[in-house]
Amino acid sequence: MTLLQALFMGLLQGATELFPVSSLGHAVLVPSILHWSFKQSDPSFLPFLVLLHIGTATALLILYRSQWVAIIRGFFSAALRGSITSDSERLAMLLMTGTLPAAVLGVFLESRIKVLFASPYAAAAFLIVNGGVMLAAELLRRRAERLAALEGQSRAEQEERFTDASHISFLAAAIVGACQALAFVPGISRSGVTIAGGLVGGLRHTEAARFSFLLATPTILGAGLLEVPLLFGAGVPLGEYVLAAILSGIAAYASARFLLRYFRSGRLDPYGWYCIAAGLIGLALLTFNL
Amino acid sequence: MPLAVLLVVLAVVFLVVGVLYALGVLQIAVSDPNAPHHYTHAILFAVLAVASLIAANFTRPKTV
Repeated sequence: MTLLQALFMGLLQGATELFPVSSLGHAVLVPSILHWSFKQSDPSFLPFLVLLHIGTATALLILYRSQWVAIIRGFFSAALRGSITSDSERLAMLLMTGTLPAAVLGVFLESRIKVLFASPYAAAAFLIVNGGVMLAAELLRRRAERLAALEGQSRAEQEERFTDASHISFLAAAIVGACQALAFVPGISRSGVTIAGGLVGGLRHTEAARFSFLLATPTILGAGLLEVPLLFGAGVPLGEYVLAAILSGIAAYASARFLLRYFRSGRLDPYGWYCIAAGLIGLALLTFNL
Repeated sequence: MPLAVLLVVLAVVFLVVGVLYALGVLQIAVSDPNAPHHYTHAILFAVLAVASLIAANFTRPKTV
């Protein structure tokens, strides 16, 4: 992989990680479409992607630094006391509940997932599935709005009727967390499925995005800690990769700021349609070798 | 048996399983069966043991 390719991949990963469009799907699909020579099945490709993810996780840590301090404090105080007395303590326990299913599924499905990395066709097909999941989540949200007689009201008023991240149920947090494991499949977006899960769990769009971003941080960092050491033995240009990770972090920070503003009134639909279109175009380009 | 006790027992089981993975004794659902140690699995089970202990602390009877 050349320096320019590594930097491009960093920018692509950072820009697409938090947008619900599957960064991994793009990272697998785009190089194949551009006929780049490096192999995605190479043992150093997954650690490289994980390094880019660490750039993203660092951006999220910076974005939510004050919240993370409260969450970590809340985690220890609630865990030692054995009870929850504040929103930050509840959010800390919800994040733990959501992270564990992803960790278990990630560790036990790791080898099967790695096989899928070699297939851009699978990434394109799963992008279409990802789009369908987001459109379905918005369909369910619109039905909930109809049932609550919120039609005709402004988007801000509609969103006010839904709850914030610290008030989601523990069962919903576990289900949303388990959905995160789907994002190990290229084409399925972590933020897409977790935001969709949050919406189904009754969260406001901005809160579903915030919960998704908070949930992503320990998962990505955990995966990074396990995979990054593989980079040191693979004889790869580590400096270039770190540069790409920094670029990824900058792009992710800008994406997160944009999305949190967008979801004040926006929905998942445009991203759902984009994923379906990108998946179909990707399949066509790969099939006809254009 | 109270739920808290069951969760503590579960934590001990997770810890033992984690140690067995770390020593390479357990080879269930691993990506490389030839590897002498499975630290990823060991770390996961250690985390699950801690989570079980936290859950046990939540469910234990508390004095008011």
